[in-house]
Amino acid sequence: MAQLIAFNYFYRDSVIHSLDVRIKFVTMILFSAAIGRITSPNQFIGVSLILLAAMVLSRLPFAELFRQMRYFGLLILGIIVIHSFSVSGTKIAPIPGLTVEGFVLGLFFSWRLFLVIIICVIFTGTTALKQLRKGIEWFLHPIPFLPASRIATMINLVFVLIPMLFDQASEILDAQKARCIEVNRNPIRRIKYLTVPLLLQTFKRADELIMAMESRCYTEERTRPVFNIKMKDWIFLSLSVSIMAVVFF
Amino acid sequence: MIILQAEKLTHKFPDGTVAIKDIDLAISEGEFIVIAGSNGSGKTVFARHLNGLLKPTSGKILFFGEALAKNIINARKQIGLIFQNSDSQIVGQTVAEDVAFGPENLKTSASQVAKIVAEALEAVDLSQYAKQNPQLLSGGQKRKLAVAGVLAMKPKVIVFDEPFTGLDYPGVRQVLKQLVELHKSGHTIVLITHELEKTLAHADRLVVMDKGRIVLDGLPEEQIYKVAQYGIRLPEIGERGVGAMTWLS
Ligand SMILES: Nc1ncnc2c1ncn2[C@@H]1O[C@H](COP(=O)(O)OP(=O)(O)O)[C@@H](O)[C@H]1O
Ligand SMILES: [Mg+2]
Repeated sequence: MAQLIAFNYFYRDSVIHSLDVRIKFVTMILFSAAIGRITSPNQFIGVSLILLAAMVLSRLPFAELFRQMRYFGLLILGIIVIHSFSVSGTKIAPIPGLTVEGFVLGLFFSWRLFLVIIICVIFTGTTALKQLRKGIEWFLHPIPFLPASRIATMINLVFVLIPMLFDQASEILDAQKARCIEVNRNPIRRIKYLTVPLLLQTFKRADELIMAMESRCYTEERTRPVFNIKMKDWIFLSLSVSIMAVVFF
Repeated sequence: MIILQAEKLTHKFPDGTVAIKDIDLAISEGEFIVIAGSNGSGKTVFARHLNGLLKPTSGKILFFGEALAKNIINARKQIGLIFQNSDSQIVGQTVAEDVAFGPENLKTSASQVAKIVAEALEAVDLSQYAKQNPQLLSGGQKRKLAVAGVLAMKPKVIVFDEPFTGLDYPGVRQVLKQLVELHKSGHTIVLITHELEKTLAHADRLVVMDKGRIVLDGLPEEQIYKVAQYGIRLPEIGERGVGAMTWLS
C-alpha cells in the first residue's frame, strides 16, 4: 500500500515542532481567520510569505507532500474555472462567458483554500498525537459539562485502534483469498464476508479493551497534562497576534 | 497471612452458563500458585473476579479479610491482572504512555508518573523501547509491557491469565523469567496455564479446575499424577520429579 504522508506527523528538530501545542492551536485559528478576511493582493502575498517562512522553519518534506497532494491541484483548477464562467462582469473577448471578475474571484478563493491546507499540513506535521491530545484536553477542560478527559482518551483510543482494525481486515481478506473468494465476483457477497467477521472481532476486542482499562483503574479524573511553556512560545504568539492585528485593521 | 480468598464463588452468565461454581480458595501472601484446567473450565472467569471485573452471582472475594467489592479501586491497584490477549490491553501510542495509563488514572502527579514509568520499564527490561510504538514489539515483549503496566500500580498480587499463549521459545523464557523474578521480589503470583511442563517447578501449589469447580488443590508433587483425568497433559516425570518442570535451565 502506498504510504500517504500528508497530514501525518513527522519528527524533526525544528522550532515549530518544539512550540507549545496550545500556542500552535491559537496561531492556527488566528491565521485561518485572517485568511478568511484578507482581500487585497498585497495581503495575500504577505500571508503567503509568512506561511512560506513557517514551512521552511518546520523542515517538513514539502516536495514529497506536494507530490502527494497534486490532485488538490485539479480541485483548485476546477474552482477557478467554475468561478470564471459563473460571475458576470467584464467579458474577455474570445471565450464566451469568461469574465475578469470571475477569474480573480476564483483565483483568490482557491488561494485561500490552498493556504488553509498548508496551515493544516504544518500543524499536523509538526504536532505529535500526544501533544494534540494534551492540547485538546486543556482547551476543553474549562468548559462545564464537557468530559474533556474522556474525549481526549477517546481520540487516543481511536488512533490506537484504527491501525489494528486495518491489520485485522487485511488478515481476514487474506484468509478469504486463500479460500478463493476472488472466484466469485459478487461484491455484495464479498462485503458481507468481510464486514461480519470484522464487526464481531471488533466488538470482542472493544470488550476486552474495556476490561483491561477497567482493571487498570480507568477514571475520568486523571492526571492533568503538564506543559512546559517557554519564552519562545510567547514570542511566537505575540508575533502572530501582531501580524493578525495588521491584517485586520 | 491470607491475602486473597474466594468463598463459595459462583458466577452464572445471563445466558444460563454457570462458568464457576462454589469455588473456595485461600491464597497466602507470597505464594506462587498455578491454576490449570482445560479450555472452558472457568479459569478466566475466576481470574476476573479476583480484581472485581466480574461480580459474583453468589459468594464473595475477600482481600485481607475484607470484602473486595467494598474498595474496588484499591483492589484493582493491589491485584494486577495480565490478560490472555496482550494486544487488546494496549492503550498507549508509545510504550511509556501505555505504562503511564494506570498511574494517570490514580491522579498521580506528572513528575511522579514519569518516575514510576521509568522504574516499571527498567524492571521488565524494556527501557530502551520507551518511545516506540507498542504494536512493533515482539510477543514476549508485549507481555512484558503488560507486566510493566501492572507494576506501575505497585500491586501485591499479580494474576497471569495464560501468559504463554502464542509465544515462541525465547518469548516463553522471557516471560517465565519475569514471573520468577516478580515472585522473588515478594509478589504473590497466580499463574493460570495448562503448560505445566514449563512452569510447575516454580510453583508452591497446584490447583486444577474442571467444569467451573476446583477439583485438585495441593502440593504440585502430590497433585501432578492426577491431572490427566481433567484434560491436562501429564508431563513426563523424570528422576528430578516436578523440579525439572521448567523452561528455565
Ligand atoms: N460472556 C460470557 N457469556 C456467556 N458465557 C461465557 C462468557 N464468558 C465465558 N463464558 C463461559 O464460561 C465458561 C468458562 O469460560 P472461561 O473462564 O473463559 O474458560 P477458560 O478456563 O478457558 O478460561 C465457558 O463455558 C464459557 O463459554
Ligand atoms: Mg481463559
